[in-house]
Amino acid sequence: MLVLTRKLGESIAIDDHIKIRVVQIKGKQVRLGIEAPKDTKIHREEVYLAIQDQNQQSVQVSSDKVKNISKLLKSE
Amino acid sequence: MVIKTTRFGEVELNSEDVLTFNEGLLGFQDLRQFVLLDDPNDDIFAWLQSCELSSVAFPVLEPEIFGHKYNVNFNRTDLESLKMQANQTPAFLNIITIPDDPTQMTANIKAPIVINIEQKIARQCVLQDNNLAIKEPIFTKLQSRVVQNPQTPIKSQGRQFDMTVKLSDSGKGQIDQGL
Repeated sequence: MLVLTRKLGESIAIDDHIKIRVVQIKGKQVRLGIEAPKDTKIHREEVYLAIQDQNQQSVQVSSDKVKNISKLLKSE
Repeated sequence: MVIKTTRFGEVELNSEDVLTFNEGLLGFQDLRQFVLLDDPNDDIFAWLQSCELSSVAFPVLEPEIFGHKYNVNFNRTDLESLKMQANQTPAFLNIITIPDDPTQMTANIKAPIVINIEQKIARQCVLQDNNLAIKEPIFTKLQSRVVQNPQTPIKSQGRQFDMTVKLSDSGKGQIDQGL
């Protein structure tokens, strides 16, 4: 991993079109400002981890359990 | 070709039934080949079954079934990965998570499975729209579908693209190990 040191207000550039600036530093929190082309996807890493977690939970279900849901939908 | 599945035993497929995920799915990056299975014993879900790992199968639904409509401008990475033009309309499927209490089931609408139907290429696209939930509750929405249309099985109320492999009704070789 490339590690760079930046001060408040300084930026890094990624490729030609993406800029990430340190906007605020407050205790253990850093606020980042990101400039990127409109179709660049930007997410907190937790989003990917949450999706990964959902995928892993989804495959735990058995086909028998799923079959019974039809009855449950009609009965409730 | 024949694949082994934990839930449905051995399933015979044609090679054109196989969907290729060039990047795998999040958490399952090593699995690239999947197939959509239609279980005649189940009225609701299709299964996105791994051809490579028998135990991996996701219950999936078309978003129309629980009333979600996508209007997505795919970015270049998504389009390239799906070998798709911006004006092409792909198919969408959502992965469903069914916990011990099925009334709490949820659909992942933030990261749908997007399928280029002509090329049989698919990708789990993480969409930028922050209003889309990873855990969207859908039980009551499915219930109202059943009430509105009690005679038609839920799964036949969607777009029904011709991609699913029908499992035999006989249950021949079907061993559910109760995962």
